[in-house]
Amino acid sequence: MSAEGIGAYLNPAQMAKLNRLALNSRYVVEGTLAGRHRSAQKGASTEFADHRSYMPGDDLKRIDWKVLGRTDKYYVRRYQDETNLRVYLLVDRSGSMNYSSGTHKTKFNYACTLAAAIGYVVLKARDAVGMYIYGEKMDAALPCKNSFNELNNALKILQGYKPAKGTAGADVMHQIAESINRRAMIVIISDLLDDQPELIKAIAHFRKNLHDVIVFHTLDPIELSLDLRSGAEFEDLETGERMIADPRAMAKEYKDLMGAFIEDYRKACSEMKVDYRLVRTDEPVDTFVRAYLEERKRLSR
Amino acid sequence: MLFVANPAFLWALTAAAIPLMLHLFQRRKTVVTPFPTLRFLKAAQKRSSSRIRFENFLLWLLRTLLILTLVFAFALPVLRATGNASWFSRTSRDVAIVLDASYSMNYELERGKVWDICKDAAAAIIGGLLAGDRVCVYAAAETPLPVIEKLTTEHAAAVQAVRALPSLPTSSKLDQAVALALRALNQEKNRREKEVYILTDGQALPWHGFRDAAQKEEASADASPFAITREQREKTAFFTLLAGAQQPDNACATDVKVTPLLLLAGQPARLSARLSRSGPAKAVTVSVEVDGQERARRAVDTEPDTETAVELALGGLEPGVHVAKLLTPQDALPDDDAFLFLLRVRKQLPALVVGPQEATRYLRAALAPGAADESVRQADAAELDGIDLRDFQAVFLCDALPLSGQSVLRIEEYVKTGGVLIVFPGDRSDVSDFAALTLLPAQPKAVADIPTELAARPLKRIPNQKDQVVTFNLSLPPGTVPLVALKRVQTFGDLAEGGAVLVTAGDDTPFMLGRAVGRGRVFQFAVSANRDWSTFPLTALFLPVSHQLIRQGAGASVQPPHLVLGANIPVNDALPNYREDDAVATPGGAPLAIRDSGNRTFVIEELAEPGLYTRAKASAGQPEPVLAVNTDRGESLLTPATPEEIAEWTGFKRLLSAREPEELARLIDEFRNGRSLAELFLWLAFLLAVTEWWFANHILRSKAGATERMKVDLAGKVITS
Repeated sequence: MSAEGIGAYLNPAQMAKLNRLALNSRYVVEGTLAGRHRSAQKGASTEFADHRSYMPGDDLKRIDWKVLGRTDKYYVRRYQDETNLRVYLLVDRSGSMNYSSGTHKTKFNYACTLAAAIGYVVLKARDAVGMYIYGEKMDAALPCKNSFNELNNALKILQGYKPAKGTAGADVMHQIAESINRRAMIVIISDLLDDQPELIKAIAHFRKNLHDVIVFHTLDPIELSLDLRSGAEFEDLETGERMIADPRAMAKEYKDLMGAFIEDYRKACSEMKVDYRLVRTDEPVDTFVRAYLEERKRLSR
Repeated sequence: MLFVANPAFLWALTAAAIPLMLHLFQRRKTVVTPFPTLRFLKAAQKRSSSRIRFENFLLWLLRTLLILTLVFAFALPVLRATGNASWFSRTSRDVAIVLDASYSMNYELERGKVWDICKDAAAAIIGGLLAGDRVCVYAAAETPLPVIEKLTTEHAAAVQAVRALPSLPTSSKLDQAVALALRALNQEKNRREKEVYILTDGQALPWHGFRDAAQKEEASADASPFAITREQREKTAFFTLLAGAQQPDNACATDVKVTPLLLLAGQPARLSARLSRSGPAKAVTVSVEVDGQERARRAVDTEPDTETAVELALGGLEPGVHVAKLLTPQDALPDDDAFLFLLRVRKQLPALVVGPQEATRYLRAALAPGAADESVRQADAAELDGIDLRDFQAVFLCDALPLSGQSVLRIEEYVKTGGVLIVFPGDRSDVSDFAALTLLPAQPKAVADIPTELAARPLKRIPNQKDQVVTFNLSLPPGTVPLVALKRVQTFGDLAEGGAVLVTAGDDTPFMLGRAVGRGRVFQFAVSANRDWSTFPLTALFLPVSHQLIRQGAGASVQPPHLVLGANIPVNDALPNYREDDAVATPGGAPLAIRDSGNRTFVIEELAEPGLYTRAKASAGQPEPVLAVNTDRGESLLTPATPEEIAEWTGFKRLLSAREPEELARLIDEFRNGRSLAELFLWLAFLLAVTEWWFANHILRSKAGATERMKVDLAGKVITS
């Protein structure tokens, strides 16, 4: 009997490696529960935010008596509210994600494993995780929950999907951006092989709504290097178009084009303050996630 | 011309189509591979299509050439230098061999003498001929020597003749020998293959004849007997074996001069030699042996590849003819290590004084101070006919005129063959008596008395005029004042041809005149030999002037210390006082050929043998050395010529040169049978294969793409360098 849910993607050793990690947002977020992430709301907390003039109806406990003593004016102290983090995982199951150059997982499979790992880390930090699965259209929208059972259920649903034929990443992302009305963290796991300007606009849409966005650009090593030994007739995974080519003869031009493609995404994300990461499917997921989260933690200090 | 030994294999050339076929075949056999980034593949293909096409073309070209070269290699291509013979049939061949027989061929190399190497090579060439091929052999010397003059098919006899051929002690002129060889080859017009082999040590000098002949041909239209036609130069196949040393090492004397020319007993002599050096600068020790005993030795710092002057001093020698050698250290060419010359040392200079006792008294006293000195003989004019004048170095006529007609003739012959005649006037002789002596520098005109007040006159030597043959150096003892007192003098008419006033008394009175006649000298004084006419016999001048006159005359007729081989010279120049009954022998003991060229003028036919020539006079049985003959040392300055220089000098269009006999054999084989190019094609195929591998596996992957220039860390962070 094959494993289901998170067990289908992460083994106990991998989960143990991810136990003590945390995914922190770089921006303020809006959650439903008290947590360790800064909230957009001011409320009860130990972290002082600012003063404002006393208004009738304010709790007298909040009046700053020291300021009254010095200025004879009434000011109340305000504190930074702290809330939990809501993380939405956007998993691409477009046709191009169904590629594997050989011994590695397909990009879709890798994306699922990566989603499981991120979800596990988020839940371990008592934050909430939700999931959107899309291909040619929005396939599933699973709301944020801070329960392992919900994550397990979401991963079971994900497990039931296979890569689609086409892709409609940009449209779906706009749709998701409209549907998430409170500040949250958006994690996009995709090969981004879509209309590049449209996709960048969609990511920008998330940022416009003040979401903290992370892009895991998932690619197979062969896609990067075109290190194929012999010529063949290549068939596009989404359009079905075919062409005969000798990869050795055009490797240099291909690498230049792919390099420019990645660089365009990287620059755009950098300008939008979106955390862009290139993920190769030949890297172990737990190793990558650990390295990424430690790097992120180090940069946020 | 290019021939193919295995033409059947050329069918394999069709294999050149294999790369193209494979290419076409490969295009059809494709495996469908799903790929996500086809759009990048399409764009990359669009960008690289022209480059890919070019690289594919290059690869196709390389592979096709590789197959073609392999096929050619297995088809055994052969390159033949001659187009006369077809591949499957053989034509008759005429071969001429020219052996350089000069003495420089005796140079010792590690593998033996150059001469022996060349003879072995000649024997090998003859041995390599097939039945029916003909051969002639010539030796190149000063004059070409036919060894086998006419073409012969007797190869064994030809080899035997070559083996028996000795090297000659001469230089060589290759152009003449080659011309004779070509003449022998051209006797038969129908033969198609003609080859000339020149086997030499490769010195430049023997080849210069070709260059000089070409210049002469340009200068004049006269055909030389040794002319080589343009057709012969361009169409005949020439092979040269330059077997000599590339960097020769040799030292030898090329010339020796002895001063003074006339050596007297006990008198020191100076030797001026020229030392030829081939090779780098080196200190060379030269020594002089006289009669087998070393008499002088010195070290000389020689300059590289040039001649150096050497001076050596010899102490006084005993009277007689001494055989001397200038020795250079033993080297690779021993033939020129000794330079032979003769030192003729005289005890005294015999003189004949003709005239009455009172007229000759002072002269006899000056020439023979000792009473027992036999070098001076006094005779009356009447006795002159019975005396052999050739026994005397000089003849003084002191108031001895008139002479009989026979005496005059004998004196004229004596002077013309190198004798010295000194004439003093006197009271007994009338001015008209001098007319019979046509040898005089000037005929006396009159006798003039000098006033006492004008008697004292300083003697002045007249500077030598341009083209003046007879000269006189008035070298006097220190402190001597050249002053004489004149009482009476002869005055002279116009000077005869070749005559000159040598000394004047005062400014304008001729005192002594001179004239060169034949190989001899005539001196004439204006005063008598006694004190009747002047104080000249009483002055300190008289004795040295008398002796100088004898010595100068003797010097003019002195024999050269050595001669060069091959000289064709009059006997009187080499053997003075030669008589027909003298037996002159060559170094080998054979009689020297002396020919009467008419009018009793004897000529030595040719000095063909180097060494010491001896003469035994009929009167005295013991032979004495008379001639020292050396080889012409022109080839001792060993200057190797390059094949390029030889080609330029000779103008031979089909010239193949080798340094070693083995290389010559290979050249002959390639010329006759062709040179296989299979190995060359195999190497070419190997190079093409390496190039194809390198091009296909290295060039196409040499440039890194943009993704390889990016750095992606473990956390997926992209850093662009």
